[in-house]
Amino acid sequence: MSSAAQQFLRDAAAKSADLVHREIIRKNMESYDAAHLRGRSRFKDWETARRRCQEIKREAINHLDHYLLQFEEKVIAHGGHVFWAANSAEACGYIRDLAVSRGVRTVVKSKSMVTEEIHLAPVLEEQGIKVWETDLGEFIVQLRNEPPYHIVTPAMHLNRQQIRDLFRDKLGEDVADADPQKLVALARRKLREAFFAAEMGISGANFIIADSGAVAISTNEGNGRLSTSLPRIHVAVTGIEKVIPRLVDLATLWPVLATSGTGQPITTYSTLIAGPRKPGEADGPEEFHVVLIDNGRSGLLANAEEREVLHCIRCGACLNICPVYRNIGGHTYNTTYQGPIGSVLTPHLRGSDFQHLSYASSLCGACSSVCPVNINLHHHLLHNRRDFTAAAGSKASGRLQFRLWRIAMVHPRLYAVGGWLMRRGLRLLYGLGLAGSALDPMRAWSRKRAPVPLPRRSFRAQWKKGMALTGAAKE
Amino acid sequence: MASANPSREQILERIRAGLRVPAAELEDRRFEGQIFEPVQNPLERFQQECKANLMECHLAAGAQETSAKLAQLLRDLPGGEIYVQDEPALRRMMDAVADGRAVRWSTEGAPRETSQATVTLADALIAQTGSVFVSASCGGRGASVVAPCHIVVARVSQLVPDLETALRNATAEQRLEKNSFACIISGSSRTADIEKILVQGAHGPIRLVVLLDLES
Repeated sequence: MSSAAQQFLRDAAAKSADLVHREIIRKNMESYDAAHLRGRSRFKDWETARRRCQEIKREAINHLDHYLLQFEEKVIAHGGHVFWAANSAEACGYIRDLAVSRGVRTVVKSKSMVTEEIHLAPVLEEQGIKVWETDLGEFIVQLRNEPPYHIVTPAMHLNRQQIRDLFRDKLGEDVADADPQKLVALARRKLREAFFAAEMGISGANFIIADSGAVAISTNEGNGRLSTSLPRIHVAVTGIEKVIPRLVDLATLWPVLATSGTGQPITTYSTLIAGPRKPGEADGPEEFHVVLIDNGRSGLLANAEEREVLHCIRCGACLNICPVYRNIGGHTYNTTYQGPIGSVLTPHLRGSDFQHLSYASSLCGACSSVCPVNINLHHHLLHNRRDFTAAAGSKASGRLQFRLWRIAMVHPRLYAVGGWLMRRGLRLLYGLGLAGSALDPMRAWSRKRAPVPLPRRSFRAQWKKGMALTGAAKE
Repeated sequence: MASANPSREQILERIRAGLRVPAAELEDRRFEGQIFEPVQNPLERFQQECKANLMECHLAAGAQETSAKLAQLLRDLPGGEIYVQDEPALRRMMDAVADGRAVRWSTEGAPRETSQATVTLADALIAQTGSVFVSASCGGRGASVVAPCHIVVARVSQLVPDLETALRNATAEQRLEKNSFACIISGSSRTADIEKILVQGAHGPIRLVVLLDLES
């Protein structure tokens, strides 16, 4: 087992027993669930909307070279620059060199998961550049020196008292009653200074639009607006998979993204940036750069079976519904992208050290059922398990277990004898008070839980009896 | 700074190589219904959605009433400069209503942080989502986000039923060729990052007000 896998199991065990964390997540998810359902009811046909989004992304991803080139041509025509980065080092290097050559001292960032993926902020900070995360949730986790807990709500794991304490320690101001309104006002005041001082604004992109050469950014707070309006340089950092063919595609994608992300009909600021400030415009950056990042995505593209994972619009719906995420929380994954989409994507982006995440699922399929672009997430977890086992080989003990299992499955009488022995054996063991001990084959479960009640009869016997009853009722 | 793109061709080549194996066809073709219920009464819907978005929408019958309502709005604001899109109709209106208040016009540069409010026009209003569609031509980028109050002066003829119509019009009118920026604004700035509790005025305006002239 890799050390990342061992760490994951340790953190998952600790986090799922943390009662304060459980309560915070329960409240957050209940609030999201209600808003999400309300949001979906605004659609005449939600399934058609998902299908439409799937078709848009499918069209884009399966003609990725064409649409990226169209986008690039348009951005250049608008007076912008496009840089293609094969990996994190190239992307960070480009942005660092740009910042240094333009004498940038302060950067304001709006929320962008891809800049987390490439670990951009430390690279700029090494140059003595001050980097401000300006999304409130990101600002909070930056002050805590933590990665985002969730791809949409980065500070979901904290309650207002914890945020009050953090602001008191780091910003030197005490919001006496931990009133969210006052906490927000304090952050606004601090970040306004940064917005007006910054020479460079860095944003992500929810979509990049081929026919318009524009970057679409959805934010509620307005930090994305200020980051792309006030500084003299704007750098938009995005994965190559964010491209969509047409501006009008946003008529479906925007409402579906907002509904899946927060339950809103549409995000407050659905912003389109198409180049630097034009002559005659009142304000806006003088320079506009788009950094297109591959970082493993083209490898996933070559896997036709899993290509649709690149359709993801990072709404967070699969995290919110996932019973595993809800119990172990976002940080346990130790990845940029958490939850089901992170478990599918990370082994492709970061290699087999993260293969254990393919098993961080009950395969219940809830993630696939809510995905707004219809990605078959739980099947892709199975694909990853299969591919990993085929590549890495399996353990002799595992092969033996499966061989025995196979023999039992094709010999029903043998299976029945096995079941009988297990019921009798476990009853004896539990009678002796040895549940959860090293002798208990169900130890993984019963070590920390009451043992599962043992049935008197086998499932098959119960099934037969049930069928006989049904038959009798019919008569 | 490296202006060359050493990895551009490599990435494109990897993409093309990856796409040689086509994706499986989508099997299920059941979903061909209507995504949204068509908007029957755009004005009524716009007002409903504005309310849901916590925006203020004031209806006015004609230019005179619009001016009077704007004057009232400005009177109720704290003292200080306001930022106004430099446009003939707004110039005429402000001459009548400014009442000695300092005005900074968009042709004089970006809005100052101390602005108490901004007054702009819009490119369109969207009934489906209760949104205001602005672009750089509506006083620039900061005009709709820097001040604590954004007042939009619009005409009912600018109202379109839904997002799709708004985006089709924007494409047909080449709005992103003519402007470096556009935004569909659906309410005041807000956050729910602390315990999912809604707080207005996160980084941008706490108030978004639409003055809608019905006689246009």
